[in-house]
Amino acid sequence: MKPNGCMNRILLVDLSRSVSRPVSVPQKLQEDFVGGKGFGAKLLYDLVPQGADPLGPDNVLMFFTGPLTATPAPSMRACVVTKSPLTGLFLDAYFGGRFGPEIKYAGYDGLIITGRAENPVIVSIRDDNIEFIPADDVWGMDALSANAKVKQKLGAEDARVATIGQAGENLVRFSLICCEPNRQAGRGGAGAVMGSKNLKAIAVQGSQLVRVNDPEAFEAACGQALEEIAQSEACEALTQSGTSYAVPWSNAVGTLPVRNHYYSDYDKADRLGDIGQAKHLFLGKAACQGCPIRCSQMGAIRTGKYAHRITDIVEYESAALMGSNLEIDDVRAVAHLVKLCDAYGLDSMSTGGVLAFAFEVIEKGLIIPPPPDLPLKFGSPEGAEWLIRSIALNENEMGSLLGQGVKRASEKIGQGSDAFALHVKGMEIPGFSPRGTPGMGLAYMTADRGACHQRGFMVGFEVGGELYNGKPVDNYGLDQKAEILIEQQNYLSGLDILVKCDFGAFGITAQCYAQLFTAATGREVDASFFNNIGERIWNQIRLFNLREGMDIKDERLPRRFVEEPLTRGPHEGRCISESDMAFMLTDYYRLRGWSPKGRPSNEKQKELGLDPQPQYRFNKEI
Amino acid sequence: MTDKLFIKTNFDLCTGCEICQMACSTRLLGGCNPHRALLHISHTRENLYHFPTVCNQCSNAYCAKVCPVNAISRDTATGAMTVDQDLCVACGLCGRYCPTHMIHVDPDLKKSVKCDLCKGNPQCVKACPTGALELVRVEEKR
Repeated sequence: MKPNGCMNRILLVDLSRSVSRPVSVPQKLQEDFVGGKGFGAKLLYDLVPQGADPLGPDNVLMFFTGPLTATPAPSMRACVVTKSPLTGLFLDAYFGGRFGPEIKYAGYDGLIITGRAENPVIVSIRDDNIEFIPADDVWGMDALSANAKVKQKLGAEDARVATIGQAGENLVRFSLICCEPNRQAGRGGAGAVMGSKNLKAIAVQGSQLVRVNDPEAFEAACGQALEEIAQSEACEALTQSGTSYAVPWSNAVGTLPVRNHYYSDYDKADRLGDIGQAKHLFLGKAACQGCPIRCSQMGAIRTGKYAHRITDIVEYESAALMGSNLEIDDVRAVAHLVKLCDAYGLDSMSTGGVLAFAFEVIEKGLIIPPPPDLPLKFGSPEGAEWLIRSIALNENEMGSLLGQGVKRASEKIGQGSDAFALHVKGMEIPGFSPRGTPGMGLAYMTADRGACHQRGFMVGFEVGGELYNGKPVDNYGLDQKAEILIEQQNYLSGLDILVKCDFGAFGITAQCYAQLFTAATGREVDASFFNNIGERIWNQIRLFNLREGMDIKDERLPRRFVEEPLTRGPHEGRCISESDMAFMLTDYYRLRGWSPKGRPSNEKQKELGLDPQPQYRFNKEI
Repeated sequence: MTDKLFIKTNFDLCTGCEICQMACSTRLLGGCNPHRALLHISHTRENLYHFPTVCNQCSNAYCAKVCPVNAISRDTATGAMTVDQDLCVACGLCGRYCPTHMIHVDPDLKKSVKCDLCKGNPQCVKACPTGALELVRVEEKR
């Protein structure tokens, strides 16, 4: 067989019986869904029984690479796919770094993990040697210490290790998987799925070669991709200061969340952005494997109360949600809080949303605050730290309440607290506050994993000056929003078969991705390939979410964005009304070829070649 | 008089991207795997530091001294220590005594492999996006 950039095998691991087995990737699966998110979309539908408890042994935890992961094609990543304990829906969470490529070097395109180990375990994968190692001495450790400890246990400094922290062990519904330091499969609670399986760590060491179909054409395509990245201003900005530059930008365009998204502008934004971070944190740059952009700005907190913690850049999302949204303006304190999240294994985005919710309901007197000497209020890093610890370690009632996420917490608190629970379908709202950007609102409403800013970044079109078909987009207008968003969702999902990094995609064109793909796999495609396969994937995921009971009544924005017009800032007086939402959603369903109830029509399913019956079960017995 | 080439490593500019190792393994083996490359990067202190290690092309080369079949010698054109693949018996002694682990028997080629400076045009240096690897030419004194 001529090389195709893939390893053409998936490793099945059954934790209940401590057995594993490699299986060939079925040809039709590869043709229809290619890899990465595509495999995840199809196999989650096929392998997870309807109604399965996300934290039960029937859920599957999958890691997928794509045909360009682990090759010299610039800026590629890998993903985790599972049924989310936060939303009960499809979850895909992406990570860069070196863990994803190692899966391919070990000889697999992906790992599918099922069942539940009786006792805490580490799965060690060294090419074809798979071992189940007791993890009693690692259980209870934070994610970073566990990473170091596993390498030490294996005597393998060069192993690449994915771990969970205490939050994952304690089944916090927004806990993450740490895929080597500073790289996390962050959103949606994949860490809790891993914890529910008693799986503390996965260590991978691979000695196989990843080969492409046409090395000469591939080298040329890589050269082209590097050139496109070099020509991109957005990529250049990321090289200079990572996503921190987006903090003052987002403030200027009125999308920076403040006080649990009550406002969307912040007079202290510069302290949290590139200027503040360069002054207090940055030392040097770090890159994911194969990436020339090197958006990571590694550094340390040098001064003050939190001095001498090593820290990566405080990414835009963390700066917004753990900084401005909590009105904490000392970037050193924010870096400290985010690092705590990384170590405990909490998604810093959802954690920021949860903390803001907690501060607001305490302020409003809706829940009884803990001892009065604790400043559980906006602007208090000490209060934030106490809550983070309480949640991750499940230390007290407040911690276990908030560890469920804002949706469940507000349902338990009642008293109208849902007004302050900012989420879509259970997933906390990202760091772009949408009242001045209705298209971004629609993106949150319709994203496959709940409120997500990465499935279609409408802010770029609405206030970022990005053109659509060569024309500027009307900021507050509703007419084109569904059309633009659908295009974005399809295209970006299509690129996640590779698996692309969003930042590489700022520079690399669809034509160039097609060249890379064709040269690596030997399958001739053009730029439209990604839109088409993206639409198939998007609809496949829709079928999963509907099967798992997603109610389209939940396809809406939280009340704050609907009922409370902004009282200041660039979008003063703006909100996204019930009728705005209804207009955009109707348009969206229609353009998607879905029924008014949001279901892909039979014709649409047929057109996309989607089979309502599961096709790939890999003989569940391993 | 011959010029000697060296790869100088600037760890302060290394981002740990491993693009150099990808280029190296691709050139050596026709496929990509940084662990199989002829240079190494250690990522330490949570990725705050990245230290590339390349072959020193030693003046007093232990690899050549321990080789029982004299397969390792200096290429006069580049100054690199190179392995004569026809002579190498893959005993692995060179790797055992190299202080920086820059020579080993490749599991597929079944011969000792080490950096030969790509005959004067090192692919790792060419691929490095930050200047962390630099090709330095030193005039050899008579």
